Amino acid sequence: MILTLQTPRPLSRLPRFLPFSTNASITLNQSQPATSTSPSPPHSQILSTRHSLLSRQFSAADLLRSHLHRLNLVEPHLHSFLHLPDPSDLLAQAESLDRRIAAGEDVGPLAGVLVAVKDNICTSDMPSTGGSRILEGYRPPFDATAVKRAKGLGAIVVGKTNLDEFGMGSTTEGSAYQVTANPWDLSRVPGGSSGGSAAAVSARQCVVSLGSDTGGSVRQPASFCGVVGLKPTYGRVSRFGLMAYASSLDTVGCFGSSVADAGILLHAIAGHDRFDATSSNQDVPNFLSHFVSPSSFESKPLKGLRVGLIRETIGDGVDAGVISAIHSAASHFEELGCSVNEVSLPSFSLGLPAYYILASSESSSNLSRYDGIRYGNQVYADELDSLYGSSRANGFGSEVKMRILMGTYALSAGYYDAYYKRAQQVRTIIRNSFKEALSQNDILISPAAPSAAYKIGEKKNDPLAMYAGDIMTVNVNLAGLPALVLPCGFVEGGTAGLPIGLQMIGAAFGEEELLRVGHVFEQTLENGRFVPPIVSEDIAS
Amino acid sequence: MGSVGAMVKGASSSYAVFCGSFLGSPRLGFSIHNNNNKNLLKFRSFSSKNTCCSLQPPDVSRLAKTAQISLTPNEVEEFAPKVQQVIDWFGQLQDVDLQSVEPSIRADTENNLRDNAPETFEHRDAMIGAVPTYEKPYIKVPRVLSMD
Repeated sequence: MILTLQTPRPLSRLPRFLPFSTNASITLNQSQPATSTSPSPPHSQILSTRHSLLSRQFSAADLLRSHLHRLNLVEPHLHSFLHLPDPSDLLAQAESLDRRIAAGEDVGPLAGVLVAVKDNICTSDMPSTGGSRILEGYRPPFDATAVKRAKGLGAIVVGKTNLDEFGMGSTTEGSAYQVTANPWDLSRVPGGSSGGSAAAVSARQCVVSLGSDTGGSVRQPASFCGVVGLKPTYGRVSRFGLMAYASSLDTVGCFGSSVADAGILLHAIAGHDRFDATSSNQDVPNFLSHFVSPSSFESKPLKGLRVGLIRETIGDGVDAGVISAIHSAASHFEELGCSVNEVSLPSFSLGLPAYYILASSESSSNLSRYDGIRYGNQVYADELDSLYGSSRANGFGSEVKMRILMGTYALSAGYYDAYYKRAQQVRTIIRNSFKEALSQNDILISPAAPSAAYKIGEKKNDPLAMYAGDIMTVNVNLAGLPALVLPCGFVEGGTAGLPIGLQMIGAAFGEEELLRVGHVFEQTLENGRFVPPIVSEDIAS
Repeated sequence: MGSVGAMVKGASSSYAVFCGSFLGSPRLGFSIHNNNNKNLLKFRSFSSKNTCCSLQPPDVSRLAKTAQISLTPNEVEEFAPKVQQVIDWFGQLQDVDLQSVEPSIRADTENNLRDNAPETFEHRDAMIGAVPTYEKPYIKVPRVLSMD
């Protein structure tokens, strides 16, 4: 695809990374002038990386070494990654890129950009376990389409990230391998299921990352980790190579430390794929044209935009600190020229049980392929059914087993009408109520979660308590709509506060509008710098 | 006990419609209190309206057999109350008036089927390489006992 990148303006301040020799510390530009006398470049690591590489300020190899240094420094505390490749492989890719740049060749828009990939997305040159023992050591024979496209545009895959097993969970405590820590407070969860991908971007271990969002698994960890999370419209990005959890709900999503970065990554991977019959033929607009410098904004850059705050998401059961942060975000929207009104979505609360019925039912079907025969771990038995039973019992964790059981129940002969069909009907109601609300509002806003990140172990034994946290996110999956989460404030906790994310929901295939609006919101947010202490400490040393 | 068979979709007219009775007793409203998510899981209170047919409670052992997962007795004991709790919670959809609402398969559908033309997968070796018990040219599996 042809991408027109805006010509980066001259950098008026230090680049994000300085080239360094072995033991030097990495300098991240911490200062954020409220106003600058000369235009400053848009807040996008991808765009400033590109500028620096093309102008030879530093090399892709140096950039890689700098990131790997930080990655390895914080990894023993975070456990974001399930697999890290041999650094010499990565270095070879970076050096090859440097040679091409030196030779004046065209390089893709993601050239030199370090991408982490959630481990339920297939990569042929690295194991892909889905966070499960049943696929321990499994190497897929193909790359997921999203990975293939990112690599084709120059991205370097820096590793596979931790997740709740097969995407089932909201904390990464459901991983069969390890629990990832939240970079803002190591005793707290990063969220899930894409917790590793969110933590890796938050701690600046990589630039952007891929995750998956079936019921909020990109948006909730984005909120908990203080990064941008983008869930595209169902069908916007191919699911080929994404290990299926709930096929009518799954999406591949993007994490970045800025709206622009998440948007650039989405643009790279979006578009029809003949290997995914549910991927849309709709054109992918040029999102990049919206990521302009804030100095070029008008005084009321979002004038006329109608913003609907979903009433059901700021009531009972939501932390006071979260409600306060959302109200501040609403005020910020008004300052930018928007009109903000409360909107009510009927049947909002039905979405949660409907989602879990659909998700467990579909997952019970999708996970029947893990039988120990064609791939994965096999527990041998004398007789075929026992082989299936033992391999699956041995390979699956508790949460996965329970969801399969629930799904099996809901789909049992004679029960389809009572559960699955009714959940499908609730899906129709929810779709229609969003359509109605989005005909009167340009975007809808809500929190991404009812609280900030909670402590590791807090929700572990109470499935319903964990499911309750998904209330803000699942309806968007049921309706198939796109949503963008970006950090908008803090609540108390940890050493520097805990981030709170604002969720913005758009009309189907309306990512362009979401990104345009999100970029403006982000670039004009006061105290809008979300870098966790674990990164800052690294700077100080 | 209703038969717990394979997952079957469609042909809904051939199934009896299950109404709001769960174990024949009135459901009680309650909320899950957990830190800040107090009222998010309030159950609606509803009493059994029709008792034409009732949904059997989940039998974890039988479900595990259907799903081909060999659970230990400990696991059955551990999972049963949790599965029951979640299935009960699913039950609140019984109370919703969904007459004349069309079910949605997924959000939006375009007809994007590719041509029905077979292609050879390029990485057959890698695919075969992932098979745990391969004896060229067979994927080796143990015998199948006849089911009762």
